Parts: sequence; C-alpha cells; structure tokens
Amino acid sequence: MQNAIKISKSQKSIAIVVAVASAFGFASLAAPAKAASPVTISVVLAAPPLPPAMLAEFTKATGINVKWTQVDWDSLQTKIAAGSTANTYYADATDVDWSRVGQLGKLNWFLPMEKYLDTKALATDMPQLSSFTKNGHVVGIPYDASFMVTTVNKALFAKAGITKMPTTIDEYTADLKAVKAKNVVQYPLNIPFAAAEGLSTYWYETTGAFGGHILDAAGKPLFTDPASAGYKAAAWMVNAVKTGLVPPGNINVADSQGQQTLMAKGKVASTFSDYSGNVGSLYDVAASSSVVHQVQYLATPGASGPTSNLGNPDGIGIPVKAKNPAAAAKFISWFTDGKNMADFAGANGTARTWVGYFFPSRLSGIAILNKKGSIIGGDVLAGMLKTSAAVFPQGAPAWYPEFSGAVYTNLHAAAAGTMTVDAAIKAIGAVATKLSSGK
Amino acid sequence: MKKKTDFLPYALISPLIIFIVLLALTPAAFTTIAAFFKVQPLNPPTHFSGLENFRDILHNANVISSLGNTFIYIIIGVTLSTVLGIYFAVILQRRFVGRSILIAVLILPWALPGVVEGILWTGIWDANTGVLNSVLKSMHLITHYQVFLGQHKFLTILAIEVVQVWQITPLSTILILAVLQNIPDDLYEAATIDGSNGRKSFRYLTLPLIRPGIAIAVVQSIIATLNIFDQPYILNGAASTANSLAMETYAVSFQNLNFGQGYALSLLITLFTLFISVIVAKFIYKKVEY
Repeated sequence: MQNAIKISKSQKSIAIVVAVASAFGFASLAAPAKAASPVTISVVLAAPPLPPAMLAEFTKATGINVKWTQVDWDSLQTKIAAGSTANTYYADATDVDWSRVGQLGKLNWFLPMEKYLDTKALATDMPQLSSFTKNGHVVGIPYDASFMVTTVNKALFAKAGITKMPTTIDEYTADLKAVKAKNVVQYPLNIPFAAAEGLSTYWYETTGAFGGHILDAAGKPLFTDPASAGYKAAAWMVNAVKTGLVPPGNINVADSQGQQTLMAKGKVASTFSDYSGNVGSLYDVAASSSVVHQVQYLATPGASGPTSNLGNPDGIGIPVKAKNPAAAAKFISWFTDGKNMADFAGANGTARTWVGYFFPSRLSGIAILNKKGSIIGGDVLAGMLKTSAAVFPQGAPAWYPEFSGAVYTNLHAAAAGTMTVDAAIKAIGAVATKLSSGK
Repeated sequence: MKKKTDFLPYALISPLIIFIVLLALTPAAFTTIAAFFKVQPLNPPTHFSGLENFRDILHNANVISSLGNTFIYIIIGVTLSTVLGIYFAVILQRRFVGRSILIAVLILPWALPGVVEGILWTGIWDANTGVLNSVLKSMHLITHYQVFLGQHKFLTILAIEVVQVWQITPLSTILILAVLQNIPDDLYEAATIDGSNGRKSFRYLTLPLIRPGIAIAVVQSIIATLNIFDQPYILNGAASTANSLAMETYAVSFQNLNFGQGYALSLLITLFTLFISVIVAKFIYKKVEY
C-alpha cells in the first residue's frame, strides 16, 4: 500500500513492551500519570448495607467509596478465620463480635484501633468498649449496643392477675407459674434450647441473674458447684422445660425464631434473655407481631432484686491485611459517630434508617433518639445500658467459641433429657478447665 | 510416513485438567501433607506431629458420635434415594401427558441449596408451629404437638435425612432414567413372548441392565450423605443427636481453630469416600451390552 505507515523495529519493540505491560496491568508505564483514583474500601458485615444516602454522604465528605458485602454471621466468622490464617486480604473493615475479642486479640488478626482512633475519649461515651479490649489493645469498636434484656407481655401477665412486675427471679418464676396455672397461655416462658449460640448467651444472662459469673479471671469454671449461680441457672432453665413453663418444642428453637414465632405471636408471656430493641423492631410492628403495645422491657429480675444486663454487642475492626487501614479507620469513625448512629436508628427519617439497626452503642446517640422520642422504651434501655456488664469481666477468652460449643450442646442435651443437669455442667466444666489450662 | 501429532484434543481438555489440578488435586495434596502437622493458630508454632492429629480426632467423643450419626445418614439416605430413584425412573420411562413438566418439577429440589431446604422443612417439622403437627392434629391423629427433632436420635436423623433424600433423589432418578432409556424395547418384547410378566421383566431384565446407573446413583448418594452439613445444621443446630462428620470437621477447624485435626478429619473422610465408592463400583457396577 502506498500510504502505509512505516514502523521501525525499535518502534515495534516499544509497542510490544507497552502492550505486554498494559496486559499485565502496568498501564501506568504506557500512560501519562493521572491524579490518584478515589480509595475504595471493602466492608464485610453480617448486616444489610447502610442507606445509600448515608454512604453517599460519607463518600462526598471523605472521597472514600464503600463496597459493602453482607455475609451471614457464621460464614463471616469462617471467612475471617480462613482469610487471617491464610494471611490474605479479605476486607478493610469487618465484624468483631464481642465473643471473639479474646481470640482475635490473641491471634493479632486485627489492627489495634487505638492507633487510629481516640479510644480513650470514645470509652466515656461507649460503655461497652471495654468488652472489645484485649491485652491493652482495642480490637474493634462496638457499633450497636446489643445487650440481653427481659421482656414481658404485660397483657398476658395482667390476665393472670399480675399487675406488679417481678423484681426477683423467685417472683418471676412464681408469676410464670401463675400464668400457666390460670391457663392464660399453655407455656409462658420462651427459652431457645436449640444447640446454638443463643442458648449459651441465655445461660450467661440467667447466671448473672442468679448473682454470679461463668469464669474466673484465669478462665476456670465458676459454675460446677451446685450452690453456684451458673449451676442454679442451668437447673432453673432445664427445670422450666420439664415443668411445662417452656414449650416442649423449644428443644429445637433458636433465639430469633422463638422471638418471632412465640413471643411476637403471644404464644408465650415472657423471654428472660431477649434482644435489646426487640420491642420497637419486632413486637410493636404490626406486620410481624400480634402483640403490638403489649410487650415491655423489664429490669432483669435477680437473686435479690433487679440485676445488671449482660452485653453482647457487635463491633467492627480492621484486619491486619486490610489494603486501606487508614480509610477503613475513617469509615469506622464515621460509622460509630453518635449522630450517625441515631440516624441509623431512625432519628431522621426512613431515608437515613438502617434496616435492622435499633440501638446505638454511644450514649450520645441514645440521647438524640430519646430527645426525638424515636426509640420505644428508650429511657428504660438507656438506663440498662449504663449499668450493663460484660459477660466475661476479664474479657472473652481466646478459646470462647469452643467453650460456647460445649455450653450449648450440653445444655441442649440436658433439656432434651439425654443427660442430667449435673452431667451437663460437669461436661461444660471439664471443657473450660481443659481449655483454660492450655491443653 | 511420519504421523502428525494432533494437539487439538489435548488443547480441548487442558482447561479441565488445569481446573482439576488447581482446584482439586493441589488442595488435596496440601491437606494430605498438613494433616501430619500441628496447625493451631491459638497454640503456635506449627510443627510436624506425625499421626497425632489422627489419634486425637479418633479419641474425640464428638467425632465418634458424628461418625455413628453419619453412618445412619448414609444407610437411610442411600437406601431411600436409590429405591425411590429406581421407582421414579421406571414411572418416568413411560410416555404420558405432562411427563416433561413432571421431570422439570422433579429436578427442583436438587437445584435448591441445602440451607434453603433446611429452612423450608423447619416449617414442616417445627414442634410449636409446624405444618405436619397442624395436619396430624386436624386429622385427630395426635392430641398434642409432637417433637420430631432434637429429642430422639433416630427420629431426628430420619427427619433430617428425609430432607436430603428429597434433594438427592432427583439426580438418582435422572441417572437411572438415562440408562433405562437405552434398553432396547426388543428385549421386553422377547421376554413377553417367552411368558414373562411385568414383575419378572423388572426383576430379571430391568434391574440387571440398569446396574451402571444404580452404581453411579449410589456413589453420588454416598458422597452427598457422607458430607451432609446444611440440613442438620439448620434443622438441629450443633446438637450431638444428629451432628455429622462434615459438621464436626467445620467445628474442629473453624470453631476450635485446630486446623491440623480438621485436615486429618477431611483426609479420612476423603479416603473413606474413595474406599466405599470403589467397593460400590466393584459390586454393583457392571458393564452392559445389548
């Protein structure tokens, strides 16, 4: 061809190098330098994405894009374990459950948050932050203030002639028996006996109500003596199913399932260890409940009077292999801001409300909600949050998941009648002793 | 004349070979090696430990319990899915109106994830609000709601395995049906002329000729039942009444973070699967020529 462009050998060589470099992603070799592209962080949580309007505000203010991935809780724990063990990147910010703090802290799978945020200042506004501290390092920042509360269907209690709410565990038990005796409902109490985490936390809360703790500072069991709170709590729970206070079918009912199909339907009159926030997000929602405005929070009845509620908050942290830890820290700072949390909980309309979120981990966030009157039972919950305590005052042990597995499988077996309470407690105690001895 | 090598067949199968090497053989080799190491992030360092992992898991009461449960899953699951698979295949071999639609519907449970099936069947088995209890009570067959899951070991495993049988039977049916459709009609005609009735034809003609299909169906059922996880996990939690080997592998690896023992248990499951598959193939599979 007459007009063909002639290409020299050296030009060809350059063209090939550029093409190969581009093919391998080294586009910068062949292209002029561009302005730094916006940072994108990957946030992986067992929760639906934040409202788009809120995320857009964050991106506008910081230039950081957020790629949100929702993974169910169990799969997420597997992902964290697998990714961290393989020493690979899997997220910039992800779940730090209260129960995994000991394990994650010991394994150093997450970056210490005190390097990125003023955690000392946060602590005054965030009562549950201490549950996320291990060996002096803050592993994650709690983003909700989930804690265990007692809920009571006051309408069903009233039908049984109970107008004064119980303040001790003995009064509470007597009231449940009265509800059953008067045939208001056949089974007044909801205990989720399915072999799952919800059964363990129920036992912890009940143990707290009986005035004790599960483990000592060295991780040794405090529940093997029949006079101990943990032993009494297990016996009380198993006895409740054997005496017909708990539906027999609850042997295979998980916590949220029991709340949705029994408590929200008026089939039981009380849940001793319920989720904080369930009144507003479940029981008072007509679409999912037939007991609207009937359920109230109750200061957890203890051995000699109301006792503190145990916290089981969800947190967020930065894995050590995060690609953008600084950007992730900015996101966490914004995500756990009191005003934003109040918005997530519905303080400023549905466009800023985060589905499924109901209770900020910061007192300032709760104060905003209370001021606007947009949280049902908010004043009661705020009071409970102030006095809420950690399940393990010394921090969740590194071997907590294995311990919890022993708790729920053995308590489930005791409720099913395949082993005695004594045998179940001994089996759980043996696991705690073995694990705390480092065997 | 020198024969020219044809590389096309190799090129065509190379993606599959690469896929198998990268995603099956490499992890298998890694698991095999790591099974002989102590790999516990909570208790470092990682070091060679010989047969210690195998010894420990064989002394683990939960693993032993799950082994017994898994054996029951296999017996129930393989028997039911194979018998039903043969039954449905024989029915579907006949031509009738709506046959294609029926086959499409039959495949649906197989296409559903185990987790979804578990959730669906929770609504059936549930002791407080389940459909089965409601139906039985309305028919006055029971006076109060029954607990199907979690209380009695065998009943629990049976109820869970029924869910898996519902899932895996379609594949057994399709595998057997494929072989069944290859049997020439002449053979049945000849048998009829020789005085054979339907039952005898099935016993002496159909069953022997569909043995290759049955063998494959049985092997796939064994693999599925041996690795059952989603259904017991959703329907019965981690309770020892019905926990399976696969659930125990998960617990050892990702709950206890004892990866060495997890690898060892996985390796044993793999070897057991291979062993039992070879046995089945040897005794059931038979090459058939018409």
